[in-house]
Amino acid sequence: MIPWSSFVQKAQSLIDPANFNIPSLSSSDGTPSKASLFRQQFRLPDSQNPLQEITAELVLPLPNSNSGSGDSARRVDRTGNRYTGRLHLSERFICFSTQPTSFLPSATLSASTNFTGQTHGTGPSGNGFTLPLSCIRRVERLHSASHVFSLALTTWNGLLNKQQEPNFTPQRLILQLVGSRQACERFCDTLKKGLREGMKEVDNLRLVVSDCYSEYLLSGAKGKAQEGGEGDGRPPPDAGLGMLFRYPGDARKLRDRSKMRLWGEYFRENGRNATLVRQPTFHKLIRVGLPNRLRGEVWELSSGSLFLRIRSPKLYQETLVKFQGQESLAIDEIEKDLNRSLPEYPGFQSEEGIGRLRRVLTAYSWTNAEIGYCQAMNIVVAALLIYMSEAQAFFLLSVLCDRLLPGYYSTTMYGTLLDQKVFESLVEKTMPVLWEHLIKTDVQLSVVSLPWFLSLYINSMPLVFAFRVLDVFFLEGPKVLFQVGLAILRINGEELLDVQDDGSFVSVLKTYFSRLDESAHPRSENPKLRAITRFQELMVVAFKEFSGITHSTIEEQREKHKDAVLENIENFAKRTSIRNLGPESKRLSVDDLGTIYDRFYETLYQWQQQQKLLEEERRRQEKKKSERLSVLGPPADTEMGRVGLGPSPTHMDYDAFREFLAATSKWAVSDTPAGSRSDSSSGFGSLKGSSSKSLLWANRRQPADHEFMQRLYRKWATDSDEGLSLQNVVNGLARLKGSPDIMNNINYFFNLYDDSGNGQVDREGILKISEAFLFLSRRGFEGTITATQSLEDLNSPRDRDHAEQNTLTVDERFLGSVSAFIRRCFEYADPSHPENQKASQQDATTEVTDKLDSFAIGDDEEDLIDVDDSKSNKPAPNATSKPSQSGDGEPNRPRSESANPALDPNNPLHITLPTFRMVILADELLEQFFESYFPQSFHLSDHPHPASLAASSSLSSNLTTFSNIGSARPSNLATAGSVSVGASGGIVPPGKGLRGVLDNIVTDGIRMAAEVKKRMDEAQRDLERNALGRDDDEDEDDDDDELRRDSNAAAAMAGGISSWGAGAYGGDMERRSVRDADRDLLEGAEVLSVREKGEGSSLLDNKDEAETKGQHGAKGSPSSAHDAEVVSKVVEFES
Amino acid sequence: MSESAGANAPKPSSSVKLVLLGEAAVGKSSLVLRFVNDDFQENKEPTIGAAFLTQKCSLPTRTIKFEIWDTAGQERFASLAPMYYRNAQAALVVYDVTKPSSLTKAKHWVAELQRQASPGIVIALVGNKLDLTNDGGDTSAAAATESESEPVKDDGEEGTAEDGEEQDTTPGDARKVSTREASSYADEEGLLFFETSAKTGTNVVDVFTAIANAIPESSLKTGRGGAGTGQTALGGRSAEDSRVNLGDRSAATAKEGCAC
Repeated sequence: MIPWSSFVQKAQSLIDPANFNIPSLSSSDGTPSKASLFRQQFRLPDSQNPLQEITAELVLPLPNSNSGSGDSARRVDRTGNRYTGRLHLSERFICFSTQPTSFLPSATLSASTNFTGQTHGTGPSGNGFTLPLSCIRRVERLHSASHVFSLALTTWNGLLNKQQEPNFTPQRLILQLVGSRQACERFCDTLKKGLREGMKEVDNLRLVVSDCYSEYLLSGAKGKAQEGGEGDGRPPPDAGLGMLFRYPGDARKLRDRSKMRLWGEYFRENGRNATLVRQPTFHKLIRVGLPNRLRGEVWELSSGSLFLRIRSPKLYQETLVKFQGQESLAIDEIEKDLNRSLPEYPGFQSEEGIGRLRRVLTAYSWTNAEIGYCQAMNIVVAALLIYMSEAQAFFLLSVLCDRLLPGYYSTTMYGTLLDQKVFESLVEKTMPVLWEHLIKTDVQLSVVSLPWFLSLYINSMPLVFAFRVLDVFFLEGPKVLFQVGLAILRINGEELLDVQDDGSFVSVLKTYFSRLDESAHPRSENPKLRAITRFQELMVVAFKEFSGITHSTIEEQREKHKDAVLENIENFAKRTSIRNLGPESKRLSVDDLGTIYDRFYETLYQWQQQQKLLEEERRRQEKKKSERLSVLGPPADTEMGRVGLGPSPTHMDYDAFREFLAATSKWAVSDTPAGSRSDSSSGFGSLKGSSSKSLLWANRRQPADHEFMQRLYRKWATDSDEGLSLQNVVNGLARLKGSPDIMNNINYFFNLYDDSGNGQVDREGILKISEAFLFLSRRGFEGTITATQSLEDLNSPRDRDHAEQNTLTVDERFLGSVSAFIRRCFEYADPSHPENQKASQQDATTEVTDKLDSFAIGDDEEDLIDVDDSKSNKPAPNATSKPSQSGDGEPNRPRSESANPALDPNNPLHITLPTFRMVILADELLEQFFESYFPQSFHLSDHPHPASLAASSSLSSNLTTFSNIGSARPSNLATAGSVSVGASGGIVPPGKGLRGVLDNIVTDGIRMAAEVKKRMDEAQRDLERNALGRDDDEDEDDDDDELRRDSNAAAAMAGGISSWGAGAYGGDMERRSVRDADRDLLEGAEVLSVREKGEGSSLLDNKDEAETKGQHGAKGSPSSAHDAEVVSKVVEFES
Repeated sequence: MSESAGANAPKPSSSVKLVLLGEAAVGKSSLVLRFVNDDFQENKEPTIGAAFLTQKCSLPTRTIKFEIWDTAGQERFASLAPMYYRNAQAALVVYDVTKPSSLTKAKHWVAELQRQASPGIVIALVGNKLDLTNDGGDTSAAAATESESEPVKDDGEEGTAEDGEEQDTTPGDARKVSTREASSYADEEGLLFFETSAKTGTNVVDVFTAIANAIPESSLKTGRGGAGTGQTALGGRSAEDSRVNLGDRSAATAKEGCAC
């Protein structure tokens, strides 16, 4: 964004700054974008952007009856009224206003900080017009003597009706553009283009306009109908329930007829509905209150919802049809309130009224599911429906919720709370004495004023007066609510100063509202003064005395209080949701839960943000105009990404879960900084730098992707399609971290791999478990595991080399443990088929390990790895763990079968939980792994639950003895006891193939580590092979062999270097600097051993390198010193 | 109801701020309406934010003037609640005996109040819609009864207007939350506990009387004049930081009744 916008700015300075703009999608900071200010100013749909802007003079023919005067911008001369102002052009609208506009061309592209001008986006105040381009029938260039560039716009005003009105003259607006010839031409060019587009919407326009009461009024059909209806007999358009059930108030007292005449006259002279031109009289007519039958139409016009309706006239009906018969929470909630919406109005005691209300609320709840339905909307919509048709109310409600009252009805109602804060601060500013009194008496103002704002005074004041407030509100915007509210307090100020508590505060105002129709000065001598009602007084005070309260005042205050309000809401939401997480969550400390909560939503929002950016990028690439799919919905630049702002995403998918884990556990961070996921679904990195936000994202650690994480995800999710909810995550973590019980952790881990749920983990599962051990441990143990020199599971070779062994790091020893784990698992595994038992019982221990060794050393099996890689969508970020396709344990793998009889599906085997437990507890390091490292590797807060720390040591000391387990399964004990002596921890079991090679080497204890690593790779490979065997047949393998051999040669060079840094146990160099020395030692040793082994064993190393090379390109940069060292080693190796 | 209470007495009078919380459609407004006006109102507009009502309650030694904040039940209004329970001395947490989820929600509210409201707030847990059950107070395992909802047309209760879901026609016991379950929870948390019916009026006044009795004398502000300072003192009340456990006292105090 930054380079682009600076480019644009440069371009702007070169061209004409006033006329070169691109639509900006969103503003990064809090200030509203120019486009959004422009839309607010003219109440345009969200799709509109300011394209052209020029100073112009609007010349209107002098109407015969216009008597208004006093506007400085207007002067009357022969040609008519003249207004000077700015003319704006968007994609589909041409707008003119005499009010200084709020967006200066000099303002930066994305945000206008020079937010001046009087209107401040309060809507179509000032004189002028907002014409959809489709309303323009004709544009002529006038040749005037004074070389003024003038245009004459002829509109469709009045011509869309079939019948012509008497004495009708087409509406013609003359605009004299003021600016350089070039600028004028450019404006005209854009206008021409827009007009062509606008042509397409004429039919829509006709459709909408024919429903307008103004057309009916002016067509004279009304008069005819009254005379006897012999004309066309056209029924009047729907002007709300009032036509059926009477409008509230006394029409005579409201002087409805004279208002109607005045409006009729205004329409005739200045255009009606979409083609209306605002002159001073317009504003006056609105201030005195709208006539009943025109009220809906004028609301629609001044709020801008008319433009939305013109855009898609059938949307309301279509929405109803589309969602017919569907159910939702919102619908249930709506249903409950239908009978309780303006029940005193007869229309809402009827099925007709209630039906309309139901349909409008329901349709809206579908179009904006984020808001759905909020109590108070029923009251507002009910009020609207008295004066307008369902479709009109539907669009107006949308404008209300999305633009005029942003956040009011959202699920957190932050807009409501924010405006209460704003209101309070305005009271403090304008009425400090009253404010002080309220503070002193501890009366909470917002408790009283909240319903005023939320239901737009509709259920606070008598309806007739509330509608008068609405008349102005729709024209001038939300500031009206504040002005009226302040005026109410000002007028009642003295009485309120006597109030001592909430109760009397409420009752003073209640009384006041009930007497709004009374005279404000009942005892005045002056009959004129006596005639002024309290409501009139209220309006005067609101708009005169508080005229200083502008839209920008409100915006300013909103900005000021927003953070505090959102924080309050978020704190409330957080403590509520943490408290309600259920009994399972109690195993974690409150701090932990808070951390999970924060991290959960942080991840979700960042993920959402990322998706949004991707979406924008995609659209930009498609060169599609950023036009919205629906005309409704919140503005495009609506702020998102905070819990307080409304409905939050509630579930994380697997990818978001990876992000979450990466923030929680070191092992979940990818080894490669970026681009590890090059598949199309994600495409991180492609967006990097395109905006500050995505930059931020890119700088975060990249999550790894490992089968273990997938298992965790599936295990935690109640419905993995839906994703993980906060509850799922908390429960998942609570089970792992909440109890310090090592047994629990072991069980949990076992269950994670018990795919069939029958308490058995098969051969593949065992390998996957070991793979997970390596995955989880590849970043070290953070000091949670210490290798004591217990003799418990030392074998004879180790004993011999006891001294050397001491020099091994925990990590290396852990590798040994994992290796031993696999072997033991196979040793103690049970055959899956009882009938095979005899045959396999004895073989199981020897043969399996045996074969495992023998096949692993063969050099053709390794080829399968690459095939697997290419098949896999998600290349594994680390060497030791290639994700296998799934853990379903499907035994269909002919390839492996032939290669390795040990994996013969006819000879399946499995381990049970007790076996697993026994094997784990047999190894000191694995035991510690489960006891402390694994649960502790999930980093939450610094204050874990006390219980999760307390019992750990004592428990384990009780449980980790071998006999404990043995007693549970006596039969096993016998086997375990006898066999383990011979084979447990024995790095070299009596294997046939491998032994020959190894017997020569094994004398050196240090080499053992290298061997362990190799064995792990074998296991890994075996796993790959299994996974692969399912997908590929042998022919392919052979082909790949060739390829592989070639690449192997290259890998020996290129991969050789990286394999040291990013190998199975190579981690983040900085973090583990202390151990580097140790590791280097070992690596030196390994190289040594390799040399000793000579040609035969170098194959093995090739294998290692090949395996690691897959990701060397993307791995983090190891320190250069280390690099150099490694290189030297490789050289050594090569020589 | 209680118009005499204020007039006849030199008894000290004090006002108590009471807030009603609970899931939507459990009958909060109905309870208040029954208490304040001894009345029902069908199709009352939903509570926007909160409704404010007052009612006096005369005890033998003093008069309590309840300033009742009846809050909106819709879930999203929950974030407004702190505004209303601020400085409240008493709270009525209402659930619907025919709707187990409403008790869960009530527990959430109790937890919220215990942690966030003024210390020493008197909380009463109220199970409403007792009229929909067979027993009207039987503590035996009524929850086990799985019979369908009632046909009873309790037209007076606002709650039913909101109750879209209970339209079953089989007569019987609609109780889904046993008295024992709720009352043992109330005991645990040190809450007053009542089962009421706003429709029939059962126990409604008793709830308020019990609350009035449970408010510690020291926390009462007296009269109008002292309200200003009284209120501010409220916030910093230190004497009764620990909640008063009134579980066992409630039965007795309820009997005392009040003039309302």
